[in-house]
Amino acid sequence: MIPRPFGLLAELTYRCPLHCPYCSNPVRYPTAQPELDTDEWIRVFQQAADLGVLHALLSGGEPLQRKDIGTLIAAAHDAGLYTNLITSGVGLTPSSAKRLKLAGLDNVQISFQADDPVLANSIAGTNAFRLKLLAVRAVQEIDLPLTLNVVLHRFNIHRIPQIIEFAVSLQAKRLELANTQYYGWAFKNRKALLPSFQQIEVAAQVVAEARKTYQNRIEILYVLSDYYSPRPKPCMNGWGRRYICVNPIGDVLPCPTAYEIPNLTFDNVRAHSLQWIWEHSEAFNCFRGTEWMQEPCCSCPYKEIDFGGCRCQAALLTGDPSVTDPVCELSPHHPLLEQQLQVSTPPLSPMEEMKDKMSYRVYP
Amino acid sequence: MIPCNSLPPNVIPKLAPYARLQQDRVTGKMALVYPEGVLLLNDTGAAILRLCDGHTDLATICSQLGEQYSVSADNLLADVQTYLHRLYQRNLIRFDGEPPSCDQKRP
Repeated sequence: MIPRPFGLLAELTYRCPLHCPYCSNPVRYPTAQPELDTDEWIRVFQQAADLGVLHALLSGGEPLQRKDIGTLIAAAHDAGLYTNLITSGVGLTPSSAKRLKLAGLDNVQISFQADDPVLANSIAGTNAFRLKLLAVRAVQEIDLPLTLNVVLHRFNIHRIPQIIEFAVSLQAKRLELANTQYYGWAFKNRKALLPSFQQIEVAAQVVAEARKTYQNRIEILYVLSDYYSPRPKPCMNGWGRRYICVNPIGDVLPCPTAYEIPNLTFDNVRAHSLQWIWEHSEAFNCFRGTEWMQEPCCSCPYKEIDFGGCRCQAALLTGDPSVTDPVCELSPHHPLLEQQLQVSTPPLSPMEEMKDKMSYRVYP
Repeated sequence: MIPCNSLPPNVIPKLAPYARLQQDRVTGKMALVYPEGVLLLNDTGAAILRLCDGHTDLATICSQLGEQYSVSADNLLADVQTYLHRLYQRNLIRFDGEPPSCDQKRP
């Protein structure tokens, strides 16, 4: 039996004023078709709710680049979806924040690149830090729930204590510290971005201590990178099982990074309903359930727990999306991951070196 | 963290500001939706959370549930404490009225 989805990831646009080198957007954007227009997105939200979706992440690119963002939030809200705006904060003013709240926005997540303005701006490839501070203030003034998010990598992971202090000083109640996952631009830049094992170990200790210190003042979510986990994550909670992703041009993907998988074709909301795609799209059915699995997954007691890990990661590291995620210690391809980590553990580089080593995200 | 059996009867539980109760159209059950996901609730869970409105204290919640399910409030207390505590650990419930942390009670 085909399960029902609970979450919709709506990537409203690939446009973004930031150029973060760890972006998970595709390095080669699909540029042949235009972005979905307002009515097309409204239809997506309604069809998602009809399918059983309860929860919408409105993301991008930078979703505030859509001039119709207020209308889109209202449409998602009216369809009965919980709405969570994932934004850089650039473009969020007191008046626009107020408008989005009235439209029915449930939660805002604002990203920061670091606590230090110079470092933050050099990671973002643009001077966005000051605008982000204004966005935080705008969200707090109208009492909208706010989560701060910082993606961690070799150039900022040593500043976790300062980042936490910074979040506390902004009176944020939730902070998500998410280690970079290596897809899209991040995969392209992985050699520059990967922290050393020592940095990862120190970071875990620092977070554990900070959780005690700030217990009642801020909630700290900490997400480890797959590359440093002994077991793979249950990616998307299982392929085609819980989540449905619609990208800016209307392609429907089982995972936002599924463009990484070669020879996989995606259906589009301009041609089919979401329900048809959820049930019949080849992209959803090819890795749904456990039938497609190879050893060591087939006979593994964890196969219904981690679902073989991440298909995109398997494709990126081995070229074959149907093998066990190489992150898994049981995978015959696990040595590939160790090789990746060995070539990527130089000492911390100064910022100038960072600029030479990385490709900043550009669009298109 | 506050131990679950020490939730005092005058504590006032409230959903976290970013958490929302809503009906799931597929099953007809209530769901608790929050920034990272969804928790599908059983009927008793939903009944408890409907009363976590930021005005009703734990003792009143138990007596109202007791009437609803024809059980004595005393028999319900431990189960409700455990349930609320589990959600508190997942940061989906806040407490007003009493300080939420044991640490704050230390001399």
